[in-house]
Amino acid sequence: MSETRDVIIVGGGHNGLVAAFYLAKAGFKPLVLERRAHVGGAAITEEFHPGFRCSTLAHNAGPLRADIVRDMQLEKHGLKFTTPDVNTVSLTPDGRALILYSDTKKAAQEIAQWSQKDAASYSDFGAALGKIGKVIGEALLLTPPNIDSPDRGDLWGMLKTGRSIRRLGKKDMYRVLRWGPMAAADLVAEFFDTEPLRATIAARGIFGTFLGPWSAGSALVLMLRAAGDPSPAGSVQFPAGGAGAITQAMAAAAKQVGAEIRTGAEIAEIRVKDGVATGVVLASGEEIAARAVVSNADPKRTLMRLVDPAHLTPDFVQKIKNYRCTGTVAKINLALSALPEFTALNAKGNGNLLRGRIQISPEIDYLERAFDESKYGNFSRSPYIEITIPSLSDPSLAPAGEHVMSVYMQYAPYKLKDGNWDSQREMLGEAVVKTISQYAPNFPQTILSGQIITPKDLEETYGLTGGHIFHGELALDQFFTMRPLLDWARYQTPVERLYLCGNGTHPGTGLTGGSGANAAREIAKTLRK
Amino acid sequence: MSASGIIGTFLGVRSPGTAYVLLHHYMGEIDGAFRAWGFARGGTGAISNAIADAAREAGAEIRTQAPIAKILIKNGRASGVVLANGDEIYADVVSSSVDPRLTYTRMIEPGNLPDDFLEGVNRYKFRGSSGKVNMALDGLPNFKCMPGAGAHLRGAMSISPSVEYMEKAYDEAKYGHWSSHPYIDMVIPTLTDTSLAPPGKHILSCFVQYAPYKLAPGLDWDTEKEKFGDNVVNTIAEYAPNIKDIILHRQVVTPLDLEREWGLSEGNIFQGELSLEQLFFLRPVAGWAQFRSPIKNLYMCGSATHPGGGIMGAPGRLAALEILKDGGA
Repeated sequence: MSETRDVIIVGGGHNGLVAAFYLAKAGFKPLVLERRAHVGGAAITEEFHPGFRCSTLAHNAGPLRADIVRDMQLEKHGLKFTTPDVNTVSLTPDGRALILYSDTKKAAQEIAQWSQKDAASYSDFGAALGKIGKVIGEALLLTPPNIDSPDRGDLWGMLKTGRSIRRLGKKDMYRVLRWGPMAAADLVAEFFDTEPLRATIAARGIFGTFLGPWSAGSALVLMLRAAGDPSPAGSVQFPAGGAGAITQAMAAAAKQVGAEIRTGAEIAEIRVKDGVATGVVLASGEEIAARAVVSNADPKRTLMRLVDPAHLTPDFVQKIKNYRCTGTVAKINLALSALPEFTALNAKGNGNLLRGRIQISPEIDYLERAFDESKYGNFSRSPYIEITIPSLSDPSLAPAGEHVMSVYMQYAPYKLKDGNWDSQREMLGEAVVKTISQYAPNFPQTILSGQIITPKDLEETYGLTGGHIFHGELALDQFFTMRPLLDWARYQTPVERLYLCGNGTHPGTGLTGGSGANAAREIAKTLRK
Repeated sequence: MSASGIIGTFLGVRSPGTAYVLLHHYMGEIDGAFRAWGFARGGTGAISNAIADAAREAGAEIRTQAPIAKILIKNGRASGVVLANGDEIYADVVSSSVDPRLTYTRMIEPGNLPDDFLEGVNRYKFRGSSGKVNMALDGLPNFKCMPGAGAHLRGAMSISPSVEYMEKAYDEAKYGHWSSHPYIDMVIPTLTDTSLAPPGKHILSCFVQYAPYKLAPGLDWDTEKEKFGDNVVNTIAEYAPNIKDIILHRQVVTPLDLEREWGLSEGNIFQGELSLEQLFFLRPVAGWAQFRSPIKNLYMCGSATHPGGGIMGAPGRLAALEILKDGGA
């Protein structure tokens, strides 16, 4: 056995790298161990067809928390974002397109062509999301309080959040309290009449979750995603070089302050002795002892597979088993010989309008029906689809004149009723191509090659248990003081000196870096004691 | 078991928040038995009659067939009511046990309530989702799974064979259709109280879900009503084939009937959806959950106030306590 290391971080996803950076800055010597050949977790760019590179999984940054971008000096480490003029193009089956520009005023002008009332509501809705999102954003920075015996820091945090909520004024305060448990469909109906606008915004509340727009609590998901990103449909930002550029910059920043990163180092087991984590065993058999182990892997993988459950109480094992963590998103990456021609956009000049997000979410019931199929273990035959064509903003991703298309498809339930994902993978790809070609008839002829990533692949290749892109369902009962579990929401686990820092901890809302930064602050505090 | 989580709501068994509705159904007690459900001798009407007797004994006066047309408001204070026949009755306190839509938008003249409050009232969700089918029977249904008469007929019988069955019933309702394979909760009260029917005859009371108040475009409850009733009978017949031969009379109650005949807006049996954003301090309207209203001396005491629907009596009692706290006027 080699010498005892200071802190080992299991997995080099974005949260692991953010945690490594902050722990190194706090004076610790973190060692990040990554199973794959490169760091990045779900924020990676890979070549999937000769000459074509794409953000393999996440294709849009969370957005990253601004203080993290600043602290890590990610721009200095090569990260550069482009924000397209067009935020979202939402297509309808009758051949129309609702165009949402990134600029709110310009967006309102476009919406006025559908409804004057909705054009006025659009900025109201954005303003309300901005005000409420700011308050929620403050809560996302907090370590969830210890409910049984809150310490002074907890009380201060709760007091501050309480005050911020009060300062919203009566109207917005009641909105925060009322919206959370609501259905996204009801929330958008309070503001808008235009069906594609309703559905396009409500889609934010279902993304990545096992919820339909009529499910209670989908408004919470929408609000969480709006914290720090109040643009009604969600902002679009493309990192030059794809999502992998984010984590490459993070790795460079972490190394610069003293973190060490080893790739190709799969962890077979987290060693526990007398209830205390003592290090890790690699798949190669190598053992590395450490003062503390921080896991960027999801709670189930960490506590049911990497740790021998014999070290946990049966009660805890039962609870972690019940943690809801089955995914609903599939990802399809396509190499295209040319841009697809969308019927609705032909008259308006196709190319420029395709730089943002292209959504197939024409109506609330369309999304709900897509969800219905997944409840019974089938993937949606008419799915909710979110497309980006990043090669329009970054031509280096594809050969000259050719393009890459990145598609989120929902719903693809982890557990299928009939067959398995190996037998249904191609059928899923066909359903997606068929759906898109209803809006762009030339689309099938432009496809050179494709990569279909099902929830099963997310689990097996990328280590996301149940294929859940958020490391566990975002719901009221798995949020804040209950993420991942009640009593264990402060990045600690029942195993002493074993911590969690991934999306399965608060705030856990996607590619923001929030969980990693919060966890590092808490871990540094407890390790210094 | 999960059926308790959806009764009277526009939710499916998988919908988040249904665990609350389940707990809601288990919070009462009968004769000291916590979370018990029971039959009232003489039907549930006997419960109301007993409550009315108790109220009279304590000094309350009750007038029936006195529909209220308007609540009188003078200088921002409730001062009485006008009956449908034009009679005016003056009072220090008016307490409404009907739902907020009827109270605030039908019984109160426009202009008496603040806009944001009315916005809250208009947003309050009813969305009735259930119907009732009552049958007079010439004998007892004979269930395939447990043939013959027996103790199993005396309790509640439920057609809710699987979570998937229930969820599919809900899916149809989401798009404005009554469930072709509905969830049915049946009781035969005549087995515990023979006075309800002539000797040898029985009553089958069926609670049916889902029957969405708002039907898909092109459909309406007046034409769907009997088809809905037929479907309930056909569904029961799959489990008790003799049912069709013993029906003497059938009464179908749709959500629209609940609204027209019983004054329940959109036919919601709880005077409003029991969803988290309409509970506790948010029921019925955020900021107005303490049984008071923006109009002085006007109170709310029905199921649309905390803690909500069901034959529990809690909102009425809590409201009375608040009214007394305010000095009764």
